[in-house]
Amino acid sequence: MKQFEYINAKSIQEAAEILSVLKNEARIIAGGTDLLIELRRPNAKTPQTVVDITSVKELKGISESNGSIILKPLATHTEIHKSDLVKKFAGFLGEAASVIGAPQIRNRGTVGGNVMNAATCADTVPALIALGAKVTLHSVTATRTMPIVDFFIKPYKTKANADDILTEIKIPKLPSGAKSAFIKLGRRNALSISRLSVAAVLVQDKSGIITEARIVPGAALPTWMRVTEAERMLIGEKPTEKLFEAAGKKVSEVMISFTGRRWSTEYKEPVIGVLVRRALEKCIILLNEVRKNEC
Amino acid sequence: MKKFIIKTVINNRKYELSVSPNQTLLDLLREELGLTGTKRGCEVGECGACTVLINGEAVNSCLVLAPQIDGKEVLTVEGLAEDGELHPLQKSFMKHDAVHCGYCTPGMIMSAKQLVEENPQPTEEEIRTAISGNLCRCTGYVQIVDAISEVQK
Repeated sequence: MKQFEYINAKSIQEAAEILSVLKNEARIIAGGTDLLIELRRPNAKTPQTVVDITSVKELKGISESNGSIILKPLATHTEIHKSDLVKKFAGFLGEAASVIGAPQIRNRGTVGGNVMNAATCADTVPALIALGAKVTLHSVTATRTMPIVDFFIKPYKTKANADDILTEIKIPKLPSGAKSAFIKLGRRNALSISRLSVAAVLVQDKSGIITEARIVPGAALPTWMRVTEAERMLIGEKPTEKLFEAAGKKVSEVMISFTGRRWSTEYKEPVIGVLVRRALEKCIILLNEVRKNEC
Repeated sequence: MKKFIIKTVINNRKYELSVSPNQTLLDLLREELGLTGTKRGCEVGECGACTVLINGEAVNSCLVLAPQIDGKEVLTVEGLAEDGELHPLQKSFMKHDAVHCGYCTPGMIMSAKQLVEENPQPTEEEIRTAISGNLCRCTGYVQIVDAISEVQK
């Protein structure tokens, strides 16, 4: 690694002031699981200063406020995975956090880093999009909040300015009775980067009819979004294998409409469909479990 | 480049150290403190050979900057034995022949250490998850899993 200065910021304000002066010459370090790998590359653009925010208490923790989960950016993947609050109100986010990297990465890597780095394979993002999360950015000149779905421009590119710090991710709880699932496909089970993933939410009424559906594929589209064309097919229907297959096929059509046909399409086209079906089936299994317990 | 004075506890011993910002914890342990039990492997957080515990949590020391351990407690494989007696995990690895070339062993043991501290009776699946960030390229994982499963905290 080339040389750089290091500042251990103690508050959001201090970090924001440093960034307001140094702008692109500074990089924030949180978990470091992406940044250190990047800095070690022989052709890396080394920043003048690395600003460590891991001592900033205001950026830590997972809490509840007025029907929302407040996820502070320094929450590690391990913390998210173990959080009862996340388990209860945003189950698939915890699932997604639990399959990132390996324990060593999850102990260190943060949700804020996952969001700000904006890698296509960022596993917490599909769930955050499906949840309708909002991100708050802070700089010395402004604090602004926006839906996370509008935050991403393209892989590794977000609307955050060089002097912005992510200070909060606000997640509306899933409606009561909703069940969620996250399915990830990597090249192997451990320490894998997502090739494709799917985050899904389903709500059924008492007669078993689907009243709400959310489907967000990961690593499939130029940026993350809910595939409303597929979601609409599910609403008002009873879950069947055929229906879920059709929804999967629709997601794969939408994916190809964005990416065009390329060398990997032959593989991804059927596989994303299967992942969608599996994610929806998993939601139904969870919904049935709830029903059994109610009887 | 400005150096930093940090206060840290490594293997239950207090240190006051002068470190460079671009030095990793792995460099500090191996090159400055002579704690070469922690191995240098891939240096991108994939092989787990450099695993140590920071405040009880397994981390890849190649992905931690040395100044970041200011005020923290670090445990490496050298800090496991107490009063000249090997840690039960170390004994169990020997008993089960869970070592071949030995390069992954310190990292494996440190990942296992966090597991048995938090979960004294892990299932096989929990053990496999706990060591999923540690690659072994020679013995295979069966003996390693056996060694860990026999250790009850």
